Amino acid sequence: MRCLPILIVVAGLASPWNAAAGDLLPADSTVEGAIDHYIRATLVERQLAAAPRADGQTLLRRWSLDLAGRVPTLAESEAFQALSPSERPVATVDRLLASPDAAFHLRNELDVLLLPDGKSSDEWRQYLLRACQENRPWDRMFSEMLIGKEDDPAVRGATQYLRSRATELDDVTNETSRLFFGVAISCAKCHDHPLVDDWKQDHYFGLASFFNRLYVTRSRHVGERASGDVKFKTTAGLEKPAKVMFLTGTVVDEPALDRTAEQNKAEDELVRNLQQKDDQGLPPEPEFSRLRQLVDVALRDENQRFFARSIVNRIWDRLMGRGLVHPVDQMHSENPASHPELLDWLERDLVTHGYDLRRLIRGIVLSEAYARESVWQGEGDAPDPEWFAVAATRPLTPRQLSLSLQIAAMNPRDVAGAQADPTWGPRRQQLENQSFGLARELELPGENFQVGVSEALLFTNSQRIQNEYLRDSGDRLVSQLKGLPPGESVPLAFRVVLARQPDAAEQAAFAQYLHDRADRPVPATQQLVWALLTSPEFRFNH
Amino acid sequence: MARNWFCGSNDHRVSRRGFLGTAATASALGAADMTTLDLLQSPALAAEVKQQQKHVILLWLAGGPSQLETWDPKPGRPTGGPFRAIPTNVPGVQISELMPKLAQRMQHTAVIRSLNTRNADHGGGAAMMETGRAVEQGLPYPDLGAMIANELGRADSQVPDYVSMYTSTEGRRKGTSGFLGSRYAPMFLTEQMVPENIRKLEQLSELDHVQRSDLRAFLANRFVEGRNSSSVSSHNQAYQRVRGIMASEKLFDIEQEPLEMRAKYGPTQFGEQCLIARRLVQAGVPFVKVARAWWDSHGQNFETHLELVTELDHVMSTLIDDLQDRGLLEHTLIITLGEFGRTPGINSSLGRDHFASAWSSSLTGCGVKGGAVYGKTDADGQTVIDGEIKAGELFATIFEAVGIDSKKEYQIGARPVPIVDFGAKPIREVLA
Repeated sequence: MRCLPILIVVAGLASPWNAAAGDLLPADSTVEGAIDHYIRATLVERQLAAAPRADGQTLLRRWSLDLAGRVPTLAESEAFQALSPSERPVATVDRLLASPDAAFHLRNELDVLLLPDGKSSDEWRQYLLRACQENRPWDRMFSEMLIGKEDDPAVRGATQYLRSRATELDDVTNETSRLFFGVAISCAKCHDHPLVDDWKQDHYFGLASFFNRLYVTRSRHVGERASGDVKFKTTAGLEKPAKVMFLTGTVVDEPALDRTAEQNKAEDELVRNLQQKDDQGLPPEPEFSRLRQLVDVALRDENQRFFARSIVNRIWDRLMGRGLVHPVDQMHSENPASHPELLDWLERDLVTHGYDLRRLIRGIVLSEAYARESVWQGEGDAPDPEWFAVAATRPLTPRQLSLSLQIAAMNPRDVAGAQADPTWGPRRQQLENQSFGLARELELPGENFQVGVSEALLFTNSQRIQNEYLRDSGDRLVSQLKGLPPGESVPLAFRVVLARQPDAAEQAAFAQYLHDRADRPVPATQQLVWALLTSPEFRFNH
Repeated sequence: MARNWFCGSNDHRVSRRGFLGTAATASALGAADMTTLDLLQSPALAAEVKQQQKHVILLWLAGGPSQLETWDPKPGRPTGGPFRAIPTNVPGVQISELMPKLAQRMQHTAVIRSLNTRNADHGGGAAMMETGRAVEQGLPYPDLGAMIANELGRADSQVPDYVSMYTSTEGRRKGTSGFLGSRYAPMFLTEQMVPENIRKLEQLSELDHVQRSDLRAFLANRFVEGRNSSSVSSHNQAYQRVRGIMASEKLFDIEQEPLEMRAKYGPTQFGEQCLIARRLVQAGVPFVKVARAWWDSHGQNFETHLELVTELDHVMSTLIDDLQDRGLLEHTLIITLGEFGRTPGINSSLGRDHFASAWSSSLTGCGVKGGAVYGKTDADGQTVIDGEIKAGELFATIFEAVGIDSKKEYQIGARPVPIVDFGAKPIREVLA
């Protein structure tokens, strides 16, 4: 009895479950065109005003954080300014998506999504990075994570997804359902869902049946037994064998297991050895793999909407600050999407374009809905976030923040960024590694994220912040600013750290600050840079 | 009647926070002692605030103490072990003879003898008894300290909301603020009693430290305009609290206490941490957890408990007296809790193993009916025969004792999440 009612009722919207593909915009519309069509239609229908388009520099910063996982460098800002306003969006987005940064950032996003709580590993991160660099289709990555090829170095890291959860059947069932299919199904373990007709105990234990033969060997390989079934007790007290069933109700037909007691005993013995002794080799593949069946059934035409919609919705949520279905793990008939046709259209587009995540990301960030200002200056209160009339102000993830701090605190002439610089890839890798230490100290933002005082104390009083970001040495921003007159140093500091020019009041306040401390320019400059780095404008993507 | 001084409704909460916000703003920057601050304002409000200002000290007995050698003795039974039961100053109530001092203070304490929490695994049991319910994927529940910090802490408080003190390996569970976010995470003291990053760097002058913060606030105030985001506001609030938190460093310094007081608590780490807990509570910290480890006595249970329960008896009695002398006991709830209890059966190593089906907890001070005993186990302590409760009921009782409506729900994004496990009700019999 730990189920939580979901009380989102959006009147007047058709259930996304019923929308017919035939009514959708043509498949050959651009992704951004389809997004703007549907978002605009709802605003018109509801007579809601929207915030205007954000200025170019703001968008450059937003794109850089969302596509490259960091703030833009000064060189990137200058190159952006040199472009004509009409060519800026596509040129910038495509440049960032083609940069080495894009793969690192997407890797980081998938890493914390799929393996939070320190379950990540180097091999897993390497796997994800390679997959993101190749823009590997999402369905293939899913398959590699679930049907681990332990003897193939190219994909071995992927099995960390299962390895870290294989020993807890509830974990692996619930997490796979939430993360890949957008369905939080844990309630249905104890009883049919009280409020959502979609989820029955049969679904829960049906999904668990795909995983119940998993085990991890002593040498940390993931294995799957050839036999073993799930039984459960219904609320009526009946004991019942679970059918191997996907969320849509599709039941997997299994060949009848004609195994003798001896064979079962031999398997038990084998698994026990693998679990207790080192160097027992790889676990054998079962003649009939339920995991393989899960991948197969989840990706069948009639079933794949869960898989496709879930990743569309999660990527939309990351980039827009809120899912089309929200919360993102509550995709069911009682919790309709804010824009059901849009979700349908994006789902279809993702599937027909081979689960190409970059195509989806590119379309979202080129849309007008994405490009709005994050400040509401219209009349009355801002429209509810679900209408996407104002851009969300989103806290940076620990990795976005720590890497951005590194970039912003560097001597801006030392860092070109994702321009045509062949050395940038390895450099980015190095910066990424250096930023891990700080990232570990920061909290991953969830829903209703609140900054804690421990973060403020860390940034205020730790030697690490002082040493790494405020150092007066040739490779840091402080050393480049300290000799300049305030008329030059203040604008340069703002452009490097906040990717914009100071306004008149800011220029005056900061110049006055420096002027009053003209006898000790280094500490004065350090405090100025500190104030910029600890400002909310730096802490958030806006 | 339950002490429900503020109903938990938004209106009440806002006005209360609003008032306290004013009090904090009116104070000198860096004041750490909120009890003083509370009294700065009008006497009527001060009295109300004094009533409302509740605190919790959780004595976390890590590893799982034996209910038979503490709150639910079974002398003369095969499971009873070597220790006797002694009468307390509340007629009819007996506890283990290892707690003679607490026995003379039973008028402040309610004992609960009927916990059946089913999870006798350290990790799972701890997660359950920290959050009041079983783990649920995709919805990280906050622990008790984080919920209390959220309910009783103030947005602009100059002292920490939640302090968690280590002992050693077993006690070293940070706990989690879960879906409430790191705003409510504990100030966690693991290696030493000086909180991390609480001291200004020497190379930075006091003046620069203050003035650069003004420069930051100048930028922050401009950014907040037009952005209705609690996440953005929390960033500003966190930085606004920094100077106050820094000034609260002296609360952690035991040298500030007279030698006589330190002698009362005794020279043990647990004693010193409880003294610090009293200093923190006195200064307005809503929740302090003191973890004392090594209760996991699979072997030599009786030697272990002779030592640990004796220490608990002494330190907790001193804490009760100290709080009472200062008028703080009626505003402060002391809880003893571990992840589970220990088996009535005594194993071949003269130990007791993990046992979650019939065990005890105690609540002392604020909001509880002193001397009350709730629930009953059978003659050997094997099963609960009356008043069986789970973690949720205990948590609901704790919330009501400090004036928090146990029917309250958090709104986490789109989902309402009850503050206690779904359907759990407080034990009215132990509430004052």
